[in-house]
Amino acid sequence: MLRTIVKSIHQAAAGLNGVSAAAVVFIMLLTCADVAMRLFGKPIPGTYELVGYFGAVIVAFALAHTFVERGHIAVELLVDRLPARPRAFIEGTGYLLSAVLFGLLAWQSQVYAMDLIETGEVSLTLGIPTWPFVFSLTAGCGMLSLVLLLDALRQLKRGLAP
Amino acid sequence: MTPTEAGLYGFLILIALMFLKIPVGFAMALVGFGGFAFLVSWDAALQLMTQDFFSVFGSYNLTVIPLFVLMGQVAHHAGISGRLFNAANKFLGHLRGGLAVATIGACAGFSAICGSTSATAATMASVALPEMKKYNYDPALATGVVAAGGSLGILIPPSTIFIIYGILTEQSIGKLFLAGVIPGILMALLFIVTIFIWTWLKPELVTPAPRSTFREKVASLAGVIETFILFAAVMGGLFMGIFTPTEAAAVGAFGTILIALAGRNLTWKGFVQALHETTRVSCMILVIVAGATVFGHFLAVTRIPFDVGDWVRELPLSPNMIMAVIIVIYLLMGCLMDSLAMITLTIPIIYPVITSLGFDPIWFGVIIVVVTEMGVITPPVGINVYVVGGVARDVPLHVIFNGALHMLMAQLATAILLILFPQIALWLPAMMQ
Repeated sequence: MLRTIVKSIHQAAAGLNGVSAAAVVFIMLLTCADVAMRLFGKPIPGTYELVGYFGAVIVAFALAHTFVERGHIAVELLVDRLPARPRAFIEGTGYLLSAVLFGLLAWQSQVYAMDLIETGEVSLTLGIPTWPFVFSLTAGCGMLSLVLLLDALRQLKRGLAP
Repeated sequence: MTPTEAGLYGFLILIALMFLKIPVGFAMALVGFGGFAFLVSWDAALQLMTQDFFSVFGSYNLTVIPLFVLMGQVAHHAGISGRLFNAANKFLGHLRGGLAVATIGACAGFSAICGSTSATAATMASVALPEMKKYNYDPALATGVVAAGGSLGILIPPSTIFIIYGILTEQSIGKLFLAGVIPGILMALLFIVTIFIWTWLKPELVTPAPRSTFREKVASLAGVIETFILFAAVMGGLFMGIFTPTEAAAVGAFGTILIALAGRNLTWKGFVQALHETTRVSCMILVIVAGATVFGHFLAVTRIPFDVGDWVRELPLSPNMIMAVIIVIYLLMGCLMDSLAMITLTIPIIYPVITSLGFDPIWFGVIIVVVTEMGVITPPVGINVYVVGGVARDVPLHVIFNGALHMLMAQLATAILLILFPQIALWLPAMMQ
């Protein structure tokens, strides 16, 4: 049961990561196109703000998958030398704390996005609303929080097993 | 509890959390958030943290990171490192320790299109180690040279560490990149000198590879042209002020893809892998930057940066001696900590001290990078050694560390020369104006 949930959550995280990869290609092509058009005196308006906005998508959507692949750098020096059970307990507790952190970030970014909808904040050149990109932070942090929570449960179960 | 005390406790808790294997970016955000909530208010801390994360992730200036990472990854998957090594090998391979010298040359070349030490070490390990094994090179020498040579990735531009330092201290990334060029070449030369001395003292460690013909030498040069074009286009555009760093990186990444496609060296699978590596590495870096930003805001409401500044200024030491102490502290921290975490954590405190003592910020950026390079090959946490160990699975880690520590001499010599003659770093950026 838990295993199938974990598997589908990890698949969703990989899906978000695919969007992140596409966003990398997008900002690369957009920036190059802007540079090329500048040679003809016609730069693409709004490149600067679009690249920044999609930069947020790149990082936010890669958060969860990067954790699944253990890509977030951690100091393994001490904990990896411990026996399996205390190690699982320490890792589980750490993931639980981190899950709370990213849960808070997901929640607060949603509040922030709602505020932005209300105030109607838009970008300077193109007039694109900011809130959808703030929601990408909600999605990314929420997904990471979920992945962390499931991993925390697994490790704590292992660490506390009689 | 005074704010200063809260800051000190914050530091201690942060170090504890990091050693309990919480990812460093997460730990910095946790403590920064908790500390700010404790000193100011929960609501303010929550809002500040969210805005910090969104502004770091959505920063135009920081999109330079995924783009330069992509450039290096595509270069790796397109086999550029192999062609660089082949050319260096044709010219230098027949010397005593020549394959190791060629490895350093190829590392320096690859560093000109890649901004990370571990990526440079990984790609060169897969190319150079089998060749050195074929000629019975001592495993400690072979792996140590690759691990140390890979560290050139952050000194020769582009460089993720210069980018992060430049953004944290509001210094020009273009100038920092320029400042890294001559020290990078100097360090590569000192690595080569180290190899010559090492193999002169212990000739049994290596067997010479055969001399290649003039025709082979000329033919191998074709493999260097692509790197030269990319470096010239990207750095030339940046240094002449045609490109912002993000534009230079985008043009570089796209150019690398086009050159790889033109030479039929890039498969769809390789491209997808490069993209996945890119999102993973960029996400890791930017989460650390975001975490450090949150932690930095907490530090700002403690009085720690001021207290440390006052304390250092009252020390009965000359500025150069203080610099020496700072470098030793960085060396010790670099042994234990990830380089990026170390820099993002210490710069808000150390940087004001450095500038108030009258040191040049660009020069200090180069010093930080050189010290970081030592950190990636020193035990127990030497990321490059682990990367090389991942490729050379038959060589134990302590053997690689042993080999890399021989090469540390060259890095130390570079640092000392930079302190004695700051112009090594500052001459080129001064030409930019």
